[in-house]
Amino acid sequence: MGGALTADLRAARRRLRHVDWVLVACTLALVAVGTAAIASATATPEQPLGLLRPRLAHVAVGLAVLAGLAAVPYRSLGEAWKLLYGLSLALLALTDLVGRTALGAQRWLAVGPVSLQPSELAKLGLVVTLAWFLSRRKEPPTRLPDLLPYLVLAGPPVLLVFLQPDLGSALAFVAVLLAMLWAAGVPRGQLAGLVAGGLLVSPLVWPLLKPYQRTRLLVFVDPSLDPLGAGYNLIQSKIAIGSGGLWGKGLFAGTQNTLQFLPMQHTDFVFSVIGEELGFVGAVGVLLLFWVFLLRVLQVASSARDAFGSYLCVGVASLVAFHVLVNVGMTVGLAPATGIPLPFLSYGGTALVTHLAGVGLVLSVAVRRPKILF
Amino acid sequence: MQPEKPVHLSTRLTSFAVALTVALAALALRLWQLQVLQGDYYAQLADTNRLRIHRVAAPRGLILDRRGTPLVLNRPAFSVSILPMELREPTRVLPELARVLGVSQEELWSRWERARSRPFEPVRVRRDVGMRVVTLLEERREELRGVQVEAEPVRVYPFGAAAAHVLGYLGEVSADELEALRPRGYRAGDLIGKAGVERSYDTVLRGDDGEHVVEVDVAGRPLRVLREQPGRPGNTLVLSLDWELQQEAERQLRGWSGAVVAMDPRTGEVLVMASSPSFDPNAFSVGISERQWRQLVQDRRNPLLNRATAAAVEPGSVFKVVTGLAALQEGRAGPASRFVCTGSLRLGRWVFRDLQAHGVVDFTTGVAQSCNVMFWMLGRSLGPERLATYARRLGFGQPTGVDLPLEATGVIPDPDYKQRTWREPWYPGDTLNMAIGQGFVLVTPIQVARALSAVANGGLLVQPRLGRAVLSPEGQVVRTFSPTVQGRVEFSPSALQALRRGLEAVVERGTGQAARVEGLRVAGKTGSAETPRGRPHAWFAGYAPAEDPRIVVVVLVEHGYRGGLNAAPIARAVLSRWWEGQRAGRREAGWAAR
Repeated sequence: MGGALTADLRAARRRLRHVDWVLVACTLALVAVGTAAIASATATPEQPLGLLRPRLAHVAVGLAVLAGLAAVPYRSLGEAWKLLYGLSLALLALTDLVGRTALGAQRWLAVGPVSLQPSELAKLGLVVTLAWFLSRRKEPPTRLPDLLPYLVLAGPPVLLVFLQPDLGSALAFVAVLLAMLWAAGVPRGQLAGLVAGGLLVSPLVWPLLKPYQRTRLLVFVDPSLDPLGAGYNLIQSKIAIGSGGLWGKGLFAGTQNTLQFLPMQHTDFVFSVIGEELGFVGAVGVLLLFWVFLLRVLQVASSARDAFGSYLCVGVASLVAFHVLVNVGMTVGLAPATGIPLPFLSYGGTALVTHLAGVGLVLSVAVRRPKILF
Repeated sequence: MQPEKPVHLSTRLTSFAVALTVALAALALRLWQLQVLQGDYYAQLADTNRLRIHRVAAPRGLILDRRGTPLVLNRPAFSVSILPMELREPTRVLPELARVLGVSQEELWSRWERARSRPFEPVRVRRDVGMRVVTLLEERREELRGVQVEAEPVRVYPFGAAAAHVLGYLGEVSADELEALRPRGYRAGDLIGKAGVERSYDTVLRGDDGEHVVEVDVAGRPLRVLREQPGRPGNTLVLSLDWELQQEAERQLRGWSGAVVAMDPRTGEVLVMASSPSFDPNAFSVGISERQWRQLVQDRRNPLLNRATAAAVEPGSVFKVVTGLAALQEGRAGPASRFVCTGSLRLGRWVFRDLQAHGVVDFTTGVAQSCNVMFWMLGRSLGPERLATYARRLGFGQPTGVDLPLEATGVIPDPDYKQRTWREPWYPGDTLNMAIGQGFVLVTPIQVARALSAVANGGLLVQPRLGRAVLSPEGQVVRTFSPTVQGRVEFSPSALQALRRGLEAVVERGTGQAARVEGLRVAGKTGSAETPRGRPHAWFAGYAPAEDPRIVVVVLVEHGYRGGLNAAPIARAVLSRWWEGQRAGRREAGWAAR
């Protein structure tokens, strides 16, 4: 009994030693910066703290999930892929049927007082499922028919999310799929063929897009097409970031933010608030944190005990990277407005919990790494 | 069973890491571009977003007559503008605004289209809206985002059409004018003087607009005032007009087309400048409607034309002042010269006929009776070049430089002119016509007034002037205008004396007796100028008192038939009104002692 306890303690201590503390620090720093920006973006004279309290609740839930997943042996998640994948699809289907509509899309599912965004949860579900299937192969999938199972797995969630419609999240699934196939060793030519095929099919998608989505894409090409309409968000975001200058206007002091010229400044455009109030220094600081974070996740991927762990980490890394690049790209006018949140920073409970859960997965892989590496 | 990790995993992860690094570095570079390289530009855009610079329109300066009678004032009013940048739902807001303002939707849309290129500049859509509209718009401010109400005074001409040609009117600054005036703070939709002294003294009358810098949120709600800078009203312009005389002249002209000019021959100060028919400049103050404007422009009597300065007509016998002076100065006539008038003059194959045979006349009587034969003989002896030279010395054929826009030049013909313009040689008959102010001679009443002033003051060509002084809004004298002598006509004293005796005789016992004023010695010359366009124009040009001239009066009645009949009585009315004032000892109190 006592011996078992000391053995457990020893194991726990060894695992704690393997925790990637740099990764954890980056995550916490990003969450903290996001929290400050959200407070600034949502403060009003009546509510000087804005949405700080619900945000802190999201953070608490997210960190609990992170710690829980880090403690769970990740292989058990892979074994439960049917449950995770099935649940993801079920929630997505339910959302399409009875979901709450906001901003022209049916993206939220009301569970009691809480609004869930199942597309976020499904992203992680797909990561686990794909990682599991990829790790079951001995040889890398090199022929096109080998790729078919993964396309079949990714197809339903992409389609369901696209129908909401949430073009950005649908593309996120595709990006994750491609990144994981890449890591699994699919030859370049095959991946290129896949991408080319997708691009060939995309004109067929154009008629399916809602008018507002088409405008968004067109306006991305030329925001001045409609400076007072659809291009407004992009222009205001660039003004906010640009006017921040080198050092920023100071937290709570950004005029674009506090006078509401910036749209959705606590969700999709939270990075614009950081750019305006914390300047170039703050904005690049956030990018640096993401950079270190992603490199650490890839480091865990390469040092994982098994292929499943590696693929999990690659999935999480590509998920976060896609969101960062598309979201920040949008705020600086380099990518179209697709309604994608910035991981760890944007306001929004489901997205935050999902991304922190992703970090939990990575930590779970990290603490179970073989000793040899150190 | 645990599959090994694929061998290529680490190289693939490395390339993944490299790709991520490149992508993030690209974003960082973009941030450098936006925030550091273009930071100032975007900072300025952010300020444009949050700062509303409301112009506090400065009232235009007042315009007074020489005694301080206010002729042009302002009345507080409100204007409605649209700010394109904030007007994000034009399809909803504009129809609603059109309904509230009672204007057509098309008009608002066309203003909006023109305004879109400068989204930060408010554009007026209507001036002088009522209090009801102001409250309506203020109450619905949230709904009608992008619509602004600004306090902006409206110009008032309390006497309506009186002296409208002198005062002028306002109109929206045109695109061409704006190009030149933008640096001086004018903006689209501003009213500027378009005619009269409103135009020639626009810079004096225009005030400096104030500024009110307000921070607003995205809904345009004002949050706090950052800076307030009061405007400065425009300066007051004091005119030399004598309003009593002006009104008398306008009363007399009623029903006729014509003009009356009165000026002080010593200073050039214009005491009266009336032109009939007239128009109401108030119609322009709030933006004249298309229909009203068309009516004014298409009116065949041409009410917008200032007949005192901007239209040159045949002077007829009034021009004999020039012929007479030239003859006296050149020794072709003297006070004692005698002429035989048989009622006609033979010139080669032609016979020039006068209205009557005056018999044997001396120079004075010839002037008094306006004997054409005598002036024909004088003209023939002088020749066209000398006549033209004297006419030009007296200022004909050149604008007087009166401080009003768009002055006519008139025509003083000579053989060269005829050849150039008509491609015909000068015939001796042309000289005869010229000698009595017919043929190609064209003059404006203000030119006649300047020429006669030179006769009255002993030879000085003074510039006629309406502006007398400029006062600050507080009433301090900023600037006074002193007389400008434009030239000197060298008269021999005897020539001048003979001419003036003739002009006195015109009123004493000649054609101008209708201009006689009890107790005042008036000198002058009548004219009945034949015109191809209808009945002759009636002229009278005179001065008083004959022994010490202090006022020159020129009357033109278009198609008034005979100067002695229809022009001289008008001059008499103006002169007797002036003389009453002089006798009552009403000193010219001036603006300062008002």
